Amino acid sequence: MSYDMKIDLGVEIPEVLQSGPVTAELLGEKVRLSLRVKSADRTVVAKALGLTLPAKIGVASTKADLMTACLGPDEWIVIGETDKHAGLYEKAHKLSTKYVMSVTDVSYRNIGVVLTGQAAAEMVNVGCPLDLCLEAFPVGKCTRTVYEASPILLHRTGEDSFVMECWRSFAPYMIGLMAAHARGGFRSN
Amino acid sequence: MFLIHCPYCDEKRPETEFAHAGEAHIVRPNAAEQSEMTDAQWSEFMFIRDNKRGDSCERWWHVNGCNMFFNAVRNTVTDKFVKTYKMGAKRPSNAQIQKWKEGV
Repeated sequence: MSYDMKIDLGVEIPEVLQSGPVTAELLGEKVRLSLRVKSADRTVVAKALGLTLPAKIGVASTKADLMTACLGPDEWIVIGETDKHAGLYEKAHKLSTKYVMSVTDVSYRNIGVVLTGQAAAEMVNVGCPLDLCLEAFPVGKCTRTVYEASPILLHRTGEDSFVMECWRSFAPYMIGLMAAHARGGFRSN
Repeated sequence: MFLIHCPYCDEKRPETEFAHAGEAHIVRPNAAEQSEMTDAQWSEFMFIRDNKRGDSCERWWHVNGCNMFFNAVRNTVTDKFVKTYKMGAKRPSNAQIQKWKEGV
């Protein structure tokens, strides 16, 4: 299976998003695992996998190119560099015979866009009504939400940077909308 | 648009992240009970709902968030969410709902 998103979808970042108050960049190939673990087994499983599994919904932890975020009471997403963490699925899969847990490789499911710049929060807010002030949505928060009509994963990686991931068939829609919004200009411009 | 408080995320989140999932506190009969049920009883369980006017207990689903189902008391006339609570909690009494509405 090819992970090259440019080939199978023609997804490209339009010119209007390549410079200006917010720039977008496609996230390269990643390993993505969806982990479901009974909360009682969270710490044991985390230790066995060498992962940090935050207990609180919406909290993400980034450690050595590996991002783990708690999306629900018993659900985590793990995103890491493909070459470094290729064996993680096998490891987790072996553990799943021992604990009440499941692991699914969803690497191919998402396309990620990194938004950077002073208008990054505004760009997210055009399509998503979440409160993105730093008190309500601090750096390191990660949650599933909606961008216009597309379900997304939103991760704040810095005061002025976000990673937005959508299911890959929604990528032309999501990026197209962002380009349209960028053409309209920004308040914080 | 509303902000709905999700009892699992413990946050107010935009309405677009949620889906309504029917009346709350309807217990599905177990297999043994089902085999004893008449067609009329089964259709009552499947399709007949109170459709209350006023404060109604409903299931909601935070589908584009933590993906959990929870229950909510919502007024079907004013559309006001009185309170949301986790699955497994008992149906609140009318007195309790009144207290919530008065902010006690």
